[in-house]
Amino acid sequence: MVNTATVDLAPLDEILKEFNGEKGAVIPILQRVQDAYGYLPKEVLSAISKRTGIPLSRLYGVATFYAQFHLTRRGCHLIKICDGTACHVRGATKLVKSLEEALQLSPGGSDPDYKYSLEIVYCLGSCGLAPIVVVDDQVYGQTNPESLIERLEKLE
Amino acid sequence: MSTTSEIRLMIDGKAVLAKPGETVLQAARRAGIAIPVLCEHPALPPSGACRICLVEIENLRALQPACTFLVSEGLVIQTQSPRVRSARKFTLEMLLSDHPLECMTCEAAGECSLQDLAYEYGVTGNRFRGKQHHYPIDTSNPFIIVDRNKCILCGLCVRACQHINGVEAISVFHRGFNAYIGFGADGGMQDSLCEFCGSCVAVCPTAALWPKMSIGQGRPWQVKKVDTICSYCGVGCKITLHVKDNRIIRVEGAWDGPANHGWTCVKGHFGYDYVHHPDRLTKPRVRRYLLEGQAKTRQGSAWEWVETDWETALNIVARRLAEVWSQSGPDSIGILASAKCLNEENYLMNKLARQVIGTNNIDHCARLCHSSTVAGLAISFGSGAMSNSIDDVTEQAQAFFVIGSNTTEQHPVIGMRLRQAVRQRGARLIVADPRRIDLCDFAEIHLQHKAGTDIALLNGLMYIILEKGWEDKEFIATRTEGFEDFKAAVMHYSPEKVSAITGVPMEQLYQAAEIMAASKPMAALWAMGITQHVTGVQNVMALANLQMLLGNMGKPGGGANPLRGQNNVQGACDMGGLPNVYPAYQPVTSEEARIKFARAWGLDERPIGDENRRGLSPRAGMTVTEMIPSILENKIRALCILGENPIMSDADTNHVRRCLESADFLVLLEIFPSETSLYVDVLLPGVSFAEKSGTFTNTERRVQLVHKAIEPPGEARPDWWIITEIARRLIPLLAQHGRAIDLDAPWAKWDYTDTAQILNEINALAPSYAGITRQRLERGETLQWPCPSPDHPGTPILHVQKFTRGLGKFVPVDYLPPAELPDDDYPLIMSTGRVLYHWHGGEMSRRSQGLLAIYPEPRIEISQEDAEKIGLNGSKRLRVSSRRGAIEAEAMVTDRVPPGMVYANFHFPQASANVLTSGAALDPISKIPEFKVCAVKIEKA
Ligand code: SF4
Ligand code: SF4
Ligand code: SF4
Ligand code: FES
Ligand code: FES
Repeated sequence: MVNTATVDLAPLDEILKEFNGEKGAVIPILQRVQDAYGYLPKEVLSAISKRTGIPLSRLYGVATFYAQFHLTRRGCHLIKICDGTACHVRGATKLVKSLEEALQLSPGGSDPDYKYSLEIVYCLGSCGLAPIVVVDDQVYGQTNPESLIERLEKLE
Repeated sequence: MSTTSEIRLMIDGKAVLAKPGETVLQAARRAGIAIPVLCEHPALPPSGACRICLVEIENLRALQPACTFLVSEGLVIQTQSPRVRSARKFTLEMLLSDHPLECMTCEAAGECSLQDLAYEYGVTGNRFRGKQHHYPIDTSNPFIIVDRNKCILCGLCVRACQHINGVEAISVFHRGFNAYIGFGADGGMQDSLCEFCGSCVAVCPTAALWPKMSIGQGRPWQVKKVDTICSYCGVGCKITLHVKDNRIIRVEGAWDGPANHGWTCVKGHFGYDYVHHPDRLTKPRVRRYLLEGQAKTRQGSAWEWVETDWETALNIVARRLAEVWSQSGPDSIGILASAKCLNEENYLMNKLARQVIGTNNIDHCARLCHSSTVAGLAISFGSGAMSNSIDDVTEQAQAFFVIGSNTTEQHPVIGMRLRQAVRQRGARLIVADPRRIDLCDFAEIHLQHKAGTDIALLNGLMYIILEKGWEDKEFIATRTEGFEDFKAAVMHYSPEKVSAITGVPMEQLYQAAEIMAASKPMAALWAMGITQHVTGVQNVMALANLQMLLGNMGKPGGGANPLRGQNNVQGACDMGGLPNVYPAYQPVTSEEARIKFARAWGLDERPIGDENRRGLSPRAGMTVTEMIPSILENKIRALCILGENPIMSDADTNHVRRCLESADFLVLLEIFPSETSLYVDVLLPGVSFAEKSGTFTNTERRVQLVHKAIEPPGEARPDWWIITEIARRLIPLLAQHGRAIDLDAPWAKWDYTDTAQILNEINALAPSYAGITRQRLERGETLQWPCPSPDHPGTPILHVQKFTRGLGKFVPVDYLPPAELPDDDYPLIMSTGRVLYHWHGGEMSRRSQGLLAIYPEPRIEISQEDAEKIGLNGSKRLRVSSRRGAIEAEAMVTDRVPPGMVYANFHFPQASANVLTSGAALDPISKIPEFKVCAVKIEKA
């Protein structure tokens, strides 16, 4: 069939060259592809399968098994809200709800402008500072909705 | 002390001997001790996922899964201790906590492993009932319903698709509670690489995967199960028909099938419903003019069909054939046997032609597929059949050379087994094909030679083998002749020259030759891509040369392996459905053979002639490719056709139509009105494979029993009965014209009441079938010919100590370009073939709901480049024309064909490739038309 891909496959070709013929390299390939594309577009998964002979279902299985992989386009900034027991008790739900209302950002997804993505995590080991939010690897403790949104809106 | 090959263990207090490397489960099974399993299947590697097979092992604290725990000396195992049983019960409770409790309507009830275990362990599913999944049921493909609510994530389907089919369409997506099975990138099965072989359905322990056509059709305990052989291709898969109320409601692969070991392809599994199609012929039909005693006319009401009774129809057939005979002699009648029908029926067609009528004008579709193979291998080796068996080829070859065979679509179960060999034991695969067929994805190297350049390619490979000294000198010296002449001929094919002719880069030629030399034995497999050329016979001899050169003949895992197309094309050839041989390839030109059959059939030992009308014909008859055109010259006036459809299957459809239109009398035995039946005078309703018993011979020369499962519709009758009735009426009529048959001769009579009697006659007259008796087959033996006596075990591999002809013969062959090459007017090459979901002229597969739904109309493959040239955007209609006609169909833009080539199939009458192919370009020896190459032009339709 004709390839109707809308995604640029040039970066993929570069990556696959590095892995030339290594069929066992599913996870490293997916990691490199995700670095290049920001996520794993289905078209790219199909192209990997076609070019390496790794069955698509196997790629998809691996991509959905590991939390590190994303199948949808991600926002520029990754927000993680902890909903572990301590954070839950200290108001994590409210944080999640506020992002939904203010930014149309819901867990596992991105806002319409792809500025942010939101993930829920469970206990980051800093329960003393609950509720915890991590924005692009920067940890913020004892957050409340207002300060969180203010901080996010300041991001480029 | 026990030998090292035996390990002693104790299971439930019983001493058990096991083999090293066995699992506890395997050892227990052999000892007759049942351990429950859910995620285990004997044909698949174990995974240890479900933990229902837990057993207690002395001195080990944790319970262990029997399906993965390997035996070791002195193990003491409990399979039913209270601890084990309570652990299993807990596992079942967990499984059922999120399982719909709807056994009363579930399709699998009665054969569901989960249900059986819940019953045995008294688990109701209510104990831990918690959060539950509610997946929508996926009914989006025509064959398999996917109900993930019933999935227990045992992973068997995933492993079946990976290890049996090989495409790996299924996987488990996500994890933990969110895990589910999915296809491709989580679309429908039809959007993935799935080929609908049904292997996943066969192993699924619940109704999570279930055949769609079987829903609501009947309970396992209500059905009659009948073992038989698939009616589609020559692989000859053994299948089990589930029958209820005279209908086939489901088909399963039979685990004891020697060719398929339980697995099938989509056609075998889901293509059976044509049997019940409303188009089935149920009453004999004759044209009105025949009833009214008028002269033949194809006009107006005189040409209308009239349904009639058997007596009337059969009498008409006998009377008309006798008239033609008396006016124009025996050779004015032609007989077309059938590669779809039983051995017994083909034998009778041969007897009808030779004994009753006195002509050798008998042929069938094999002319159009492997006549080149039969002729070529007969010259090289002395026997024209597949030399090895499917098992040894797929399990023992170190390498495969697949040339001109789209194996995964045409012989799907063999294709699956090739993929298994490549993936699971690292067998090396070389594919040579002008198209980028699916098998190329599994190949180490794809030699994409130009269509029709096979001899150049093969000679080029042999040049390199000889240049490097990689030939098997000992084999050549002791087992062959003609080597020096052959070598001299091959030495004209330097890699440079061959690369220029074939378009295959030189490095690839060297690489392929190196694989061939390094990985022995190598099995060569081929099909129509080799045979359907004007050089078909020479192509085959070139392959025979290659396998002798490498010393690959007569060895398990090697051999020359033509893959025969139709379910019984091998048998139809074996039974004398060919113009030059009696059954078992006894030449009609041999006086000894002629006298043998004259004696057996009650005829005069002298050849038939003007003064002796009671003899057999001493001359080879006409091939189908000669018979049909010679209707126009009035040489052939009448044809008696058994289940063939020349309008679809023969080259140059328009010409075939003109020929059939001008015949004096055509009688056709068929199960459906076909494209050919438009032209025939009498149409007699035969029966499908499910409605008769007898034998088919598959591609590996294995004779297998076909069992009647249902009653035929209406007045349809088994073809062997119809042929018998025609013969019984014709014999006295011809006797009036001097052809008296001595009915007291041992095998002269036509008094068959079942096919066992016919096989008995075959045993007596066809030496290679002599030992293949009904009794042995009924006992479960599946014998491969030659099997010359009742105590002979059959012959899995031919040419072992010596070739059938003694020494193998190297025959020098030279490259000749195809007969019709592209030019300015017709600048592209068209090649023809079939697709996975259809079969032959499509008469059966187009009448199977599922097969038609998944592949509903003809498609023509075209490259991106050529599509752009004519301004075809995306999927648009394409018009392809040749000097003989034009067809229009949906274009399939693909990288499967190279630029300059289109590929069309002949499954659909509205756009059959054979409208375009040439019937004039024939191989001089086998008379096969060059289906694989003709010149065409393309335009946007
Ligand atoms: S039907 Fe065959 S190819 Fe399709 S998913 Fe099942 S096992 Fe795989
Ligand atoms: S669909 Fe059937 S075979 Fe596949 S994992 Fe689920 S229960 Fe097992
Ligand atoms: S591989 Fe051939 S014989 Fe086997 S199921 Fe398919 S069509 Fe039938
Ligand atoms: S619960 Fe949020 S950091 Fe532990
Ligand atoms: S059968 Fe052994 S773990 Fe499933």
